[in-house]
Amino acid sequence: MSSEVFLAQIMPIKQKLFRFALRLLGNEEDAKDIIQDAFMKVWHNKEKMGELQNLEAWCMRITRNLALDKLKSKKYRITDHLDRANEVPASHQQTPHQRSEQSDLMRRVHSIINALPEKYKTILQLRDIDGLSYQEIAEVLDIEMSEVKVNLHRARKQVREQLQNIHVYGIQ
Amino acid sequence: MEYSNIRALLEKYWACETTEEDEAELRIFYAMNEDALPADLQEAAPLFQYYHDASSVELPEIEIHGPWEETKIIRPFWQGWMKYAAVLLVALGVGHSVYNFQQKNRNDGNQLAFHDTFDDPKVAYEETQKALAIISKNLNKGKEQMEKLSYFNDATGMIQGNNN
Repeated sequence: MSSEVFLAQIMPIKQKLFRFALRLLGNEEDAKDIIQDAFMKVWHNKEKMGELQNLEAWCMRITRNLALDKLKSKKYRITDHLDRANEVPASHQQTPHQRSEQSDLMRRVHSIINALPEKYKTILQLRDIDGLSYQEIAEVLDIEMSEVKVNLHRARKQVREQLQNIHVYGIQ
Repeated sequence: MEYSNIRALLEKYWACETTEEDEAELRIFYAMNEDALPADLQEAAPLFQYYHDASSVELPEIEIHGPWEETKIIRPFWQGWMKYAAVLLVALGVGHSVYNFQQKNRNDGNQLAFHDTFDDPKVAYEETQKALAIISKNLNKGKEQMEKLSYFNDATGMIQGNNN
């Protein structure tokens, strides 16, 4: 495979991979490093690319494996980016009071999702934020589609229970 | 407003029975109806709001560098000097050995045997006779020793004949 083909097929998905790595690591610098490593790995395995059905899922799988390795090594600690919740665009909100209430709520939802086990969290994010199909998620995570469904069900169930708490008792 | 459709979709969502289109519909619904929702629909509102916000967060463009960027480096020809040096060394080695071989052949003493050493045939004849006389003399010297040997040989033969 020539570099033109590589650039044409892989470069367009770099932002998507970056978003994915950032969610896993919670840190932009580390996410960038991981993407750089992932691209090198994809480049070195470029002979395999012809046999693949879903190139994007393969790249996401490589990114995820590298990110998980990084998390495992040196007792990496995900710093929950509370700042990020504030970056959420809030154009349609009216008063400062509403805005602050809304970002508190978003922060709460963010921490609910981040508190899920890694697998649940990744499946939920890939499905509900990135809009991937069950088949695509199965390919990214290299698991069976039935497992994706079961895990997604559990993830949504946990999120729902937490949301019900917020709804009934307010933000805590 | 009719919410029964949304309620049904939401139930399907929690049960993981929604399609991607259904989920997109839910997201659009919650993005459009932020306020004044019935209590039962408010529960999921923050989640869909979060999904909507999270998917629309703009990330900085990242730069990735690697070997796929084809930068052709044109080196001046003398930078590959080692190959030229190797060719030169081999040529020198071959030249040297050929030269040595020729020199050795030229110095070979046998070459003189095929050259004339005398101009006058008469002198040459005398010199040859002298040389042959020396050879004859030395041969006769050797022959004397051989005669002694044959004497011993006869004696050995006689002794062996007696024994038999």
